[in-house]
Amino acid sequence: MNDHSIYPFVAIVGQDHMKLALVLNLVNPTLSGVLIRGEKGTAKSTAVRALADILPAVTVVKECPFQLAPWDDPVHCRECFRVDCREKRLAHEPVEEVTRPIRVVELPVGATEDRVVGTLDLEYALQKGEKRVEPGLLAAVHRGILYVDEVNLLDDHVVDVLLDSAAMGVNTIEREGVSFSHQARFVLVGTMNPEEGELRPQLLDRFGLCVRVEGIADRDARVQVMERRVAFDEDPAHFAREWESESLDLVEKIEAARRLYDKVEIARDRLYAIADYCLEVGVDGHRGDIIMMKTAKALAAFDGRTAVGKEDVDEAAELALPHRVRRQPLMDVAESVDKVRHKHSPEGGSK
Amino acid sequence: MKADALSPVFPFAAIAGQEDMKLALLLNAVNPGIGGVLVRGEKGTAKSTAVRALAALLPAITVYPGCPFECGPEEAGRHCRRCKLCDRTQPAVSRKVRVVTLPLNATEDRVSGGIDFDRAIRTGCRVIQPGLLARAHRGILYIDEVNLLDDHLVDVILDAAASRENRIEREGISFSHPAQFALVGTMNPEEGELRPQLLDRFGLCVEVHGVPGRDERVEMMILREAFDADPEGVIRRFDSRTRAIAAGIEEARRLLDQVVLPAPLRGSIGDLCREARVSGHRADLVIEQAARAHAAYHQRTEVTEEDIARVAPLALYHRKRDAAPAPPPPPPPSGEQEHEHPEDAPEQDREEQHEEDEREEPDSKPEQSEQSGEAEQEPEPSPPSEEESPSNAPEQDVLEKVFEVGDTFKVKHLTTPKDRVFRRGSGRRSRTRISGRQGRYVRSTEARGTQDIALDATLRAAAPYQLRRKRGNGIAVVLRPEDIREKIRERRIGNFLLFVVDASGSMGARGRMAATKGAVMSLLLDAYQKRDKVAMISFSKSEARVSLPPTSSIELAARLLTEMPVGGRTPLSAALVKAGEVLRGQTLRDPTSRPIVLLMTDGRSNVSLFGDKPIDESLALARNLARDERVRFIVVDTESTGLLRFGLAEMIASALGARCFRTNDLQVETLLDIVKGDSGK
Repeated sequence: MNDHSIYPFVAIVGQDHMKLALVLNLVNPTLSGVLIRGEKGTAKSTAVRALADILPAVTVVKECPFQLAPWDDPVHCRECFRVDCREKRLAHEPVEEVTRPIRVVELPVGATEDRVVGTLDLEYALQKGEKRVEPGLLAAVHRGILYVDEVNLLDDHVVDVLLDSAAMGVNTIEREGVSFSHQARFVLVGTMNPEEGELRPQLLDRFGLCVRVEGIADRDARVQVMERRVAFDEDPAHFAREWESESLDLVEKIEAARRLYDKVEIARDRLYAIADYCLEVGVDGHRGDIIMMKTAKALAAFDGRTAVGKEDVDEAAELALPHRVRRQPLMDVAESVDKVRHKHSPEGGSK
Repeated sequence: MKADALSPVFPFAAIAGQEDMKLALLLNAVNPGIGGVLVRGEKGTAKSTAVRALAALLPAITVYPGCPFECGPEEAGRHCRRCKLCDRTQPAVSRKVRVVTLPLNATEDRVSGGIDFDRAIRTGCRVIQPGLLARAHRGILYIDEVNLLDDHLVDVILDAAASRENRIEREGISFSHPAQFALVGTMNPEEGELRPQLLDRFGLCVEVHGVPGRDERVEMMILREAFDADPEGVIRRFDSRTRAIAAGIEEARRLLDQVVLPAPLRGSIGDLCREARVSGHRADLVIEQAARAHAAYHQRTEVTEEDIARVAPLALYHRKRDAAPAPPPPPPPSGEQEHEHPEDAPEQDREEQHEEDEREEPDSKPEQSEQSGEAEQEPEPSPPSEEESPSNAPEQDVLEKVFEVGDTFKVKHLTTPKDRVFRRGSGRRSRTRISGRQGRYVRSTEARGTQDIALDATLRAAAPYQLRRKRGNGIAVVLRPEDIREKIRERRIGNFLLFVVDASGSMGARGRMAATKGAVMSLLLDAYQKRDKVAMISFSKSEARVSLPPTSSIELAARLLTEMPVGGRTPLSAALVKAGEVLRGQTLRDPTSRPIVLLMTDGRSNVSLFGDKPIDESLALARNLARDERVRFIVVDTESTGLLRFGLAEMIASALGARCFRTNDLQVETLLDIVKGDSGK
């Protein structure tokens, strides 16, 4: 929280869609992530790193390698190598717990599969002559955010691994003599530059939301970007202090929305509107419907309301559907869902 | 099941629609002899959810306590006589049939089994640690995204599935144990197809689509949100229905042995299979087993016509002779209706068969017609000022025109032969050994040389000797040089595809450009699945342009292709020179790469570079290009099959040392692998 080398989230100029999409995922992590598409130098990575300032807190068992909550069933504990808390956990005795902001784990593009999934702990095997699992990134990121910069450049076999755990929330290790599975539910945040190649449709579908970012066209805003950047570079600590109260406001707003989310009601009519939307633009499967509904609810909650309005549904469509609109093979991702819908509707629906 | 304990599973009874998929899974739960299901379909259609939910419904079997291979008294115990790994004097216990998940990144030692490291260290004995195939015995082996599974694992699974036992000959262990399992896989055809052998191992195959009804979709959203908020509550709400299904399965299992198949019906199964022209006899057997399960599930002890009619389409779907629909999945055509009308399914099958017969005609298009229809209705926005024109435009020399993309089709497999050169890269076209630390760790070897040590295998190799070796320094395992194993990694790498496309005026005639664009688009789709890099050169008027420098963005290539105008003369020589430049750049950057060049032209070279006769010049340049052994050329002759043919493209092809194809020949149905007959390199 007090890391002053991070540019504050609230100080990012413009890019409202991107910021909104990220915040909505903090409100409801089951939205399962954002894909940020855009050119170089549009604050994509800055925004994701800046999330560190506004992350909500989670409670975990102290030093638990699998980020379990104290109230979780001790499912992994029997096979876990942390002997000290194992006994207590299995006996359902209280253990030390910590409350910390949720984690943002960065997955480097060159990461090897065994680091991502987990593998045999070689050091331990050599010293003790016993096998135990060395958890990978997917264990560290449980209940957190997995951030992949340049996600379209990720190695194919690493993508395969992500597909499965992102969908099912479980990571299964069956390699190098180790057999283990653990929970791995995370928000997947990826950035990419579409000029360098498109994502595989399967992976594309795993991202809940998708936003495009572009360089800002407005002259004044561009000046503002420069001014803030210079101010930040000169004295990051001072800059962060200046924005601190706004940061705190946002944190509070997110917390309030998280609490409110469960109370948000969505009328049946609105659900029909969502179904129609998905049918009309042509969305594969049902993930689009579900994510769109959750997005609409999160939007209402973030706005402090307990009823989903029409504008929530429309906005949710622009966030949740652009990458799901059924395309001609090899066509680009849709720019505006609304446009697609209106292109289709005169002919009476989608193809 | 371990994974179930981890995350709550959406109840099977709560899955809306997808009747075929649910039926196929239930039938397998009743009768494992069916051999499994392959669920194909678009993303987000509850494929994986259904399979995971199935685990809760499975009946119980009896096993010897502690048996690592799930043997029970029902079995003859042929293996048990040799296997001393459990105590068979104890009474057998009952437990649920398992769904064992095989993750894509599994290594071979975990799939088929290997030495038990812990026991080996402690006791100095080589004891087997059973793999996933052992766990899955008498149960279900589940592979998500099965089309992405590596070839070496596919081989292991095929071998076990075929022989019904798993033979382990590795790490100093020689052992075999029974491995009889139903194979359940899910896949999204957009990512590529399955190998035919593996496809055939799945007893049944169903295709799933999103549910089109508004009401169902709304219900689905409500239920899903309820489940995310309170999984236990939803599971409880469906508890009685879940139990009813489970009881039905249990009952049907008991009944199964008594179900008889009347002899005449056996004949009609044979007829069905003959009509569908399936290869081999597995389809017959699967239909019989599935029909018996279907009858038992409906509490009957005699199989009827209806049973067969209901299950036959599921068994024949992937075994019909041209049953490899190309990606992306075609929308359900009227033929799919047969699932809803079981009683007249045989007739429909026959009708469909006629259609198939017609499809086999050499110049007919495969089932992609719908898709291409879409493509024609919705052309990409073309560049301003250039008007759309029908593909039958008269020949024009100066005016540039944009032609639509013609029919696309599934292309046959183009690859370069596997060799012993180690490469770097990523993709899915050609299999290669991989140098460096990337790529999937496939297995270990005793051979040395890469310094990429497979420590797990090394430890397993050293483990049995630990009791005799002297230890020190607080290290429990003493390694000797002879223990060292290294990793063999493997993955497919994408190739570099260079398209050289003739965009001259002569290509505008008689739909040639549309057909060519269709062919290139098909190759691009294929290139996407194989993660190739592509580049494109187009030539017209008096010059050749690199319209797309080497890139992985296949989308960009597709857009450029759609917008490519046609007009002017045919500067083939210039194009060949340009191709040479691009290839040189590519081979310099990556000396081990094996580029494939696809030259699409009618060969009517008519622009000279140095003042010679244009065609002679082109031929000379072509011979020059062919000298680089690493590059493979494929010429696609776009000249229409008429009386008056020049055959110039064929001359160019022979100068390049390439095979010459017509656009139709590229389709997967019509010819064997291009590469096999190709002297190519």
